[in-house]
Amino acid sequence: MTYIATFYTHFGALTFQREQKRQGLNAQMMPVPRALSASCGVCVRFAQEGEPQVEGATDLEGLYQEEKGGYRCVFQAE
Amino acid sequence: MKNVKNKKTLWMILTGLIIGAIAVLLVANGNPKNMGFCIACFIRDIAGGVGMHQAAIVQYIRPEIIGLVLGALIMSVAGKEFKAQGGSSPVTRFVLGFFVMVGALMFLGCPLRMVLRIAGGDLNAVVGLVGFVVGILAGIFCLNQGFSLRRTYEQSPLEGGMISAINVALLVLVVAAPPVIYFSTEGPGSMRAPLILALVAGLVVGALCQKTRLCMVGGIRDAVLFKDFYLLWGFIAIIVAALIGNLITGNFTLGFAGQPVAHTDGVWNALGMVLVGFASVLLGGCPLRQLILAGSGNSDSAVTVLGLFVGAAFCHNFKLAASAEGPTPNGKIAVIVGLVVVAVIAFVNIQKQKKNS
Repeated sequence: MTYIATFYTHFGALTFQREQKRQGLNAQMMPVPRALSASCGVCVRFAQEGEPQVEGATDLEGLYQEEKGGYRCVFQAE
Repeated sequence: MKNVKNKKTLWMILTGLIIGAIAVLLVANGNPKNMGFCIACFIRDIAGGVGMHQAAIVQYIRPEIIGLVLGALIMSVAGKEFKAQGGSSPVTRFVLGFFVMVGALMFLGCPLRMVLRIAGGDLNAVVGLVGFVVGILAGIFCLNQGFSLRRTYEQSPLEGGMISAINVALLVLVVAAPPVIYFSTEGPGSMRAPLILALVAGLVVGALCQKTRLCMVGGIRDAVLFKDFYLLWGFIAIIVAALIGNLITGNFTLGFAGQPVAHTDGVWNALGMVLVGFASVLLGGCPLRQLILAGSGNSDSAVTVLGLFVGAAFCHNFKLAASAEGPTPNGKIAVIVGLVVVAVIAFVNIQKQKKNS
């Protein structure tokens, strides 16, 4: 499964990506897809089997699963 | 996904071409040369128009700015993307906005005008571009070190719409033209496209920029950070369209000397844009992008725009702004102070990463 995690800050995305990489996972930072946000923040795209554990990630705004032709919201911060 | 990306890129190129063409149209209808759009110059003109500074040649409530904000508002509401949010270090953003204006008025243009100046053959703007890239690289270095102005929070729709309400008030002022506001009778402020044309131009460009996220700073930032060239295509398309338009209308003159509303001091053209690029990366976008985000409900960007506005007034009251004759001694000091202040803001806001977060 491929997921996209969006963040309130660039720092949050950077921290999350580095942690994913430390765990040996393939995680890439990139601009947030336009379909997910009108803002110009960055997100982390990563692959993981099963539901990813994102609790406690710094400045996490949302988590989306990539689906054919779109995205499915898995988690969204209050 | 690839088709979606190609379609998006085509939209971005089209947006850039339209903006470049509109900029040429505005010049053909009265705006100063190479100044179809300039966010810094126009916010400065508005500051003069409402009497915040007394530089008589740059006073006019520019409808283009009002149009950009309201165009973004309309498009974001129509697309259900209006989002009232803010609270991410607003005073710091105000100060960064202030110094973006100090840098821009040293160079004599925001990043958008820099692009339009290049398209007019003004080689001083190429020197400015070099400085701009250096400033962006400095900002990217800080981002990679963990720079953050901390997160935004949801706010009331009234807070998100306040900057648009202010722009409506400005529109009423410029249309009603009461004797308390100022209209330049000579100089760049007196050179203006008809009000309705300027307003519609701003509305169209504001709507397109909201849809595409066009950003002069973001283009170079994303290309360097992610090898993502989507935003950069807009940047290039503006140059192409404006270049063709300038060649057709006879407004293309290649060289350094005698360029419209520009000076030839390369060191200070570059340093001014280093300051603009550096501070804009920390802010997350160029002055144009700040206007668009402000219209879309982001009060942090609205505060940045207010910083630009107050910065512009200070630039003329304290004689910081350069002119065709070149930079002023006060302006040189202000740019150096700005670079130091922005560097301190960058350093102090570098966050430490928590382990296992």
